[in-house]
Amino acid sequence: MAEEAGASAAPVGGDGKMTMVVGVDESEHSYYALQWTLLHFFSPGQVQLYRLVVVTAKPTAASAVGLAGPGAADVLPMVEADLKRSSLRVIGKAKELCAQVSDAVFEVVEGDARNVLCEAVERHHAEMLVVGNHGYGAIKRAVLGSVSDYCTHHAHCTVMIVKKPKHKH
Amino acid sequence: MEPGRAVASGVPLPPGGGGGVEASRGTAGAATMTKVVVAVDASEESLHALSWALDHVVRHHPGASLVVVHAQHPADHFVYPVAAHGMAYIPPTAVESMKKTQDENTRKVVARALEVCAQRQVTAKAAVVEGDPKEAICQAVEDMHADLLVLGSRGLGMIKRALLGSVSDYLAHHASCPVLIVKPPKAHAKGTGSST
Repeated sequence: MAEEAGASAAPVGGDGKMTMVVGVDESEHSYYALQWTLLHFFSPGQVQLYRLVVVTAKPTAASAVGLAGPGAADVLPMVEADLKRSSLRVIGKAKELCAQVSDAVFEVVEGDARNVLCEAVERHHAEMLVVGNHGYGAIKRAVLGSVSDYCTHHAHCTVMIVKKPKHKH
Repeated sequence: MEPGRAVASGVPLPPGGGGGVEASRGTAGAATMTKVVVAVDASEESLHALSWALDHVVRHHPGASLVVVHAQHPADHFVYPVAAHGMAYIPPTAVESMKKTQDENTRKVVARALEVCAQRQVTAKAAVVEGDPKEAICQAVEDMHADLLVLGSRGLGMIKRALLGSVSDYLAHHASCPVLIVKPPKAHAKGTGSST
């Protein structure tokens, strides 16, 4: 999908900035993570030392539906359209939130979030990956899988996990 | 399960709210990161995490205060697990010397961490907490109202090294503030994009 022009990105952008990838999905937790990042690293008064790349993963329709019955072929296009709409909504909202960031890049990449984020880190040679987490307990994480856990172990850069606090101090 | 007690070495921890205005309330103007806590132990990974944090985060937030936290295993155990199978019994007479060795190690770890900070002209405070590292650090982060916690990914917990990153996993899910997990330098050098 929206691949960066020029497959071999330079390790550092021409302006000497480091790169930070922020993963977002439809959840409130990831918008919170994005906003926290903007507040602390990209606020208007500060010198911007990072280049911001916001990435959302669009699951493939086949993986989302997961059924192989006679009706599957009919359902897939609708699911695909729906997923596409949903990802564009996510990116649209991210763009709104990042309005004050001058050179932010926004990408929708098809695939599973875990791989998409790690691969985006490689592609942009990012120094940092920021993700929120859903605050799942250990059992839910084992069953549903945790993108933040996966990225913590597999991304080839520093990972920052921003949790939405259950209660403000 | 004993809760971790925060024992500041020479610097009193603010009882509450001393960390300053919570940036997350979104006050007008540039948000400041007021307090960054870095967990350190004797490992190279945690020292690398400290350097990384200094270069990539603290440098850009000049107003931030930095606290290095070291978790010390409580030395009042008489029995220690050894090599995953056996248990070593420590006679009471040896507990004193064990405690002295531990204190000495703690001093070295803290001194090394503070030196790394000083090399970058950053004044840092140190705190030593006792108890199970994950819970003690979690508690300390809450008590200090930290804005960010920095960890090396496989740097904490000497005995738990076998359980890859269990301390960082725990803190990533339980700490009361965002957690930054820094990988050891070898990971950065893996240029050829390995799959998964």
